[in-house]
Amino acid sequence: MAGLNDDAQWIVMMGFVVSFSFFFLAMLLNQSTVVGQTTAEGVLEFPKNDIRDVRSVITESSTLSLSDADAQVIKDDIRTIALSRKGAVVDYTITPPTGSDLYTHISIHYNNGVTEYNENWTSP
Amino acid sequence: MVDDNGQLYTIEGVAAGMIMLMTAYLVLGATSVYTPGDTHISDMQLEQLGTDALRMMNTPVNGTTESTLQEIVENDDANAFNTQFLNFVNSKTGTERDNLHYNATITYYHSDVINNIHTTASLPLASNRNLTGGEHPVRVTEWVIADKQFPGSVNHPRAVLVEVLLWRD
Repeated sequence: MAGLNDDAQWIVMMGFVVSFSFFFLAMLLNQSTVVGQTTAEGVLEFPKNDIRDVRSVITESSTLSLSDADAQVIKDDIRTIALSRKGAVVDYTITPPTGSDLYTHISIHYNNGVTEYNENWTSP
Repeated sequence: MVDDNGQLYTIEGVAAGMIMLMTAYLVLGATSVYTPGDTHISDMQLEQLGTDALRMMNTPVNGTTESTLQEIVENDDANAFNTQFLNFVNSKTGTERDNLHYNATITYYHSDVINNIHTTASLPLASNRNLTGGEHPVRVTEWVIADKQFPGSVNHPRAVLVEVLLWRD
């Protein structure tokens, strides 16, 4: 490039460096606000309390020594209310202690369309 | 022939302009999500607080007695619920009290074989303020097994869901 004045190249380069650093700072600022939102949304959407709650009511029902008919009533209650009020499909099977096996086993299934949770619970 | 002086200055000008435009775009885009992010964080804390309070009320003092919440559901004791729940959620460090309000209902499965009704229904339990529509409540729930008959069925015990709408104003 004939006749181009190539003085002050340092000034031009520092200008670039400073403007790029501003650019990356702006990008960090942009991301940081989204992080707070997505974290809170993630905590609100993950059904931690729903799962813990449904686990505790199922295990509680297994300790009440109910008749088969009463246990079925409780099961219908839990399944229907979980579906209509929580939008979650819940199912469980309680296997009471038999001869050689002294422990109650419960297989619990929970699915709200996003989060799926399965557990084989054994009484202590 | 075109004069080819000043090409570097032109390129520099274009690059600097693009960097400034991109920076302005990112910064303006960032401020627009600030408020909803903030709302979610306080919702999350309120939901945790309410869930903890209900879980405390549904914990029996020992293995043979019923929990407070079970007794409240069985006896429909709105006053006991009101006192204990507000005591739990409004407690703060120091003598100041928090200012939370709630509206609690019991949801049960209405299964009437004779009239062929199979649906969920709700009964009011307690509240310390009516919802007017301007609030921003969160919903917290707790399962309770109550030895009580609910409409449509003679069976008991039943599993019901205590649902609480909780808000701060």
